[in-house]
Amino acid sequence: MQAFEYARPKTAQEAVALLASEWGKSELLAGGSDLLSRMKDDVSAPQRIVSLSGVHELRGIAASARGLRLGALVTLDELETHPAVREHYAGIAQAVEQVGGPQIRNVGTVGGNLCQRPRCWYYRNGFGLLATYKGRPLVPDGDNRYHAIFGNEGPAYFVSPSSLAPILIALGASLRLLGPDGPRDLPVEQFFVTPKSEAEREHAIKPNEVITEVLVPPANGTKSGFYEILQKESLDWPLAMAAVALQMEGRRVEKARVVLGQVAPVPWPSAEAEEALKGKMVSEEVAEEAGRAAASKATPLSKNKYKVQLARVAVKRAVLLAAGLVKKGEV
Amino acid sequence: MATPLLGQRVKRKEDPRLIQGRGHYVDDIQLPGMLHMAFTRSLHAHARIGSIRVAAAKAAPGVVAVYTGQDIQGQLGWVPCAAGIEGLKVPRHSCLAIDKVCYVGEPVAAVVAASGYAARDAADLIEVDYEPLPAVVNPEKALAKESPVIHEELGDNVAFVAKLAGGDCASLEADKTLKVIKARFINQRLAPVSMETRGVVANYSPGEDLLTVWSSTQVPHILKTQLAIMNSLDEARCRVIAPEVGGGFGSKLNVYGEEGMACLASRRLGRPVKWIEGRRENLQATIHGRDQINELEVYVRPDGKVVGLKCSIIADLGAYHQLLTPAIPTLTALMILGCYNIPNVFVQTTGVFTNKMATDAYRGAGRPEATYIIERVMDLVAHELNMDPVDVRMKNFPSPDDFPLALPTGVTYDTANYQRSLKKVLKAAGYSRLRKEQERLRKKGKYLGIGLSTYVEICAMGPSSRMPAGGWEFGEVRIDPTGKVTVLSGTSPHGQGEETSFAQIVADGLGIPYDDVTVYHGDTFQVPMGIGTFGSRTTAVGGTAIYQAMGRLKKKMARIAAHQLGVKPGELVFRDRRIETEDGQKSIGFAEVVAEAIFAKQLPPGIDPGLHEHSVFEPSNYTFPFGAHVAVVEVDGETGEIRLRNYYAVDDCGRVLNPMLVDGQIHGGVAQAVGQALWEELVYDENGQLITGSLMDYAVPKAHQFCWFETQNTETRTPVNPLGVKGVGEAGTIGATPAVVNAVVDALKPFGVRHIDMPLKPEKIWRILKQGVRN
Repeated sequence: MQAFEYARPKTAQEAVALLASEWGKSELLAGGSDLLSRMKDDVSAPQRIVSLSGVHELRGIAASARGLRLGALVTLDELETHPAVREHYAGIAQAVEQVGGPQIRNVGTVGGNLCQRPRCWYYRNGFGLLATYKGRPLVPDGDNRYHAIFGNEGPAYFVSPSSLAPILIALGASLRLLGPDGPRDLPVEQFFVTPKSEAEREHAIKPNEVITEVLVPPANGTKSGFYEILQKESLDWPLAMAAVALQMEGRRVEKARVVLGQVAPVPWPSAEAEEALKGKMVSEEVAEEAGRAAASKATPLSKNKYKVQLARVAVKRAVLLAAGLVKKGEV
Repeated sequence: MATPLLGQRVKRKEDPRLIQGRGHYVDDIQLPGMLHMAFTRSLHAHARIGSIRVAAAKAAPGVVAVYTGQDIQGQLGWVPCAAGIEGLKVPRHSCLAIDKVCYVGEPVAAVVAASGYAARDAADLIEVDYEPLPAVVNPEKALAKESPVIHEELGDNVAFVAKLAGGDCASLEADKTLKVIKARFINQRLAPVSMETRGVVANYSPGEDLLTVWSSTQVPHILKTQLAIMNSLDEARCRVIAPEVGGGFGSKLNVYGEEGMACLASRRLGRPVKWIEGRRENLQATIHGRDQINELEVYVRPDGKVVGLKCSIIADLGAYHQLLTPAIPTLTALMILGCYNIPNVFVQTTGVFTNKMATDAYRGAGRPEATYIIERVMDLVAHELNMDPVDVRMKNFPSPDDFPLALPTGVTYDTANYQRSLKKVLKAAGYSRLRKEQERLRKKGKYLGIGLSTYVEICAMGPSSRMPAGGWEFGEVRIDPTGKVTVLSGTSPHGQGEETSFAQIVADGLGIPYDDVTVYHGDTFQVPMGIGTFGSRTTAVGGTAIYQAMGRLKKKMARIAAHQLGVKPGELVFRDRRIETEDGQKSIGFAEVVAEAIFAKQLPPGIDPGLHEHSVFEPSNYTFPFGAHVAVVEVDGETGEIRLRNYYAVDDCGRVLNPMLVDGQIHGGVAQAVGQALWEELVYDENGQLITGSLMDYAVPKAHQFCWFETQNTETRTPVNPLGVKGVGEAGTIGATPAVVNAVVDALKPFGVRHIDMPLKPEKIWRILKQGVRN
């Protein structure tokens, strides 16, 4: 780890001013669960760390008729245990529940979860975001068991690691960014982009911008659910996850949003699964069909066909959870 | 009247300080002028070393010294191997590689600097020119003629071939009435992953000519002798202290090159030198466990009676021998018959060098492999003959009256009642009810599996004739003038809880409060001799030494008390802080006798002052704890995930001194065993790179993955020691792995599954569910 400068601003505006305008020179520190491990592994070597621990305006959850306002520094634990979240946004609580362990959830933040870098083991061992060695991509011929099964035509093969993004996208959430020119709002879905070159990032954030808050629209009876399957079944990275939001009339689905995670370089909305649910009475068979539809267009790499099956199961179970046909722990 | 302390759930003396974060580990040691060491390690599995450029490291801020293999050659002895096997090839094992590296992670250079960070950064500045050589990581390929040879001077990659035969297996081949079952099992490579990594502080004081070493070790006395030899010092000039040790699981039953280097650096620099292992180093360069390939032929009568077993063990030893590397697989051969009296046996064990870290003792050390083999075999017999696995086991158990039982493997089991443990665990699990539930669920397309393991292990190591460095243990009990008791042990517990059980033994025997007893261990200046903690020996051997020393002390105190009371020493009992006749008519306070013994005013003739006795206990045999486990698993038909639903264990470790300690050992051991069955696996790629090199990739189990373990005990005392205790440190790890694998194979029976190699990862299971398997 190389020596660095440490800044602890008091306001988001000050934080923005402390950030460099190019990537790599400065890094934001919130919970640190991703940044510190990257620094220890020499994947990131910022000259300056801008800690957000003194920026109190970024904290707090506000639930109102306008929906849910989540400060970027809200911890995953705060989110998981918040009564309004548990009551109206079951999918969010279910998504957060299995992130890391209790210690990670106590420090990990909403903003950090959205901004964390991929878990790709080539990236984490110094081969860059696009995992190349001497110009050759390593993933297609290498060990790609944890890599993308959608949107993997290259050059990016990693999977988006955020556990929160799929459910936030399914719920139509947006986020607010603050930069030198002031704030701007962006749907969470547009925050994630597939980089085309090593110079690009997987997030639509500028080096000197800070996420200040996430805005989730009012639930208005939307039912949500989330299901994931972990690599090692414990305190661990998921292999596949699915977030589902259903607007329902009785047991009939009026409108469905289905977003997969850990399967593509970005959170992966499944129009096929949404179509399979629309207008249907939710049942085990319909959920099964939604899963099959979601997996139908997958393009697995040489070693990750298993993830296709898991994506299918995740969608099926998330639908059943969202519709309330099963409870967590019963699926 | 106080209840006897032995057998009680006494709370651990160790826990208050550990729970409060007040344990004092190697990394907590700070000495004036202390320097820090870091290692540059090989990036190659097999390569010749060209030039090593150290100038940049030497010039880096804070760096005091840099050493390479050339710098220490002839100045520091080889890393020792104590295994005594006929014809064993022992490669030279330098603390720093000299002209070639043989595994990824092998130390190539050491940097000593003012801080740990400075040392680490400078170690990364060292440039080593490697000429890569072809690596061999698969032990079967290493045996092939065309394989690269790792140690050219040894001719080939075979470290040893050991044969063990009893009865006459050859005669069975002609018997056409017998069914022959063949199998091939892989017992994968594991990492011990103790919570505290390795660490050492060496402090050579030139004025005293004394080398003091704090090390996170299980064997301070063995380490003292070996470090003295490596550093050409008299043992009197070398003191080893094992402070609080945060787990070892066998990985610290060793002498490592890094320990040697810390001593050399401190001797050369005249300053204390500390090295603390990182977790990546721990996974790469601390010994690994298991790693065997087993090919079997089993001869069975149509009624399920197994009459012969032939096994080839290919043991992957890694690149060099650590302290006991080659000895471990020989324990597999010794215990391969498990709790079945199979009259004919032949085992050939081939120890093979590969370009990987050395394997050595990991909790169970050779016996989990043996138990896995024989318990999978029993289930295969049940499968082939369409019998219930319970019936196959009952058919092959020896009768409780057969003990002591001499087996054709050459070991003699002390005492057992295998039928009783099996019946007890089946009752606890509700076995017949589970079988009915399984049938019901199968019809619904759900897969419940029920797995058995009936195990026996070899413990309380052991008779000195069978142990490289002796198998005795030292114990000392002294009573101080205030009447408080100090106990010294040559063992070195590091989590097992013997501060508690030893205090129980002594307090119970002397009839004094448990809190009056303090137990010390782990300092070679305080405890004159010792072997250490491993092989489930600490209470059975070390506890017995203390028990015997206490017995001598009691004899002396009884003579003094009898002299005062005017009775015969044999009439006296020790209870409630008094020494008195059974009827309590004649009685004297414990403290009064202590004062008399130490102040020596009216001692009877022929009695020396002082209350200070020691004993060295030499066991006449090993002990053979045993038990029966049942695992119940559910397999998720869509994802292949396995959920351990219930776990039942009935263990017999002889006399139980503290049920809470026994439970703790069983729970921890079962967790590690389930880890092997379901999750854990060290993987090297074909170039010898360790691809499970961090805890992100190496799957250590977490508490929340487990169901509650229902544990019970039976007590079959051993005559091998007067306490009747057998040992329990490894039982869970030895017994539980096959129970879980048997359960999963049982769950997948409708798919025609006969065997699946560990770890039973979901993807592997899902592929079977999807495609079925061919028998």
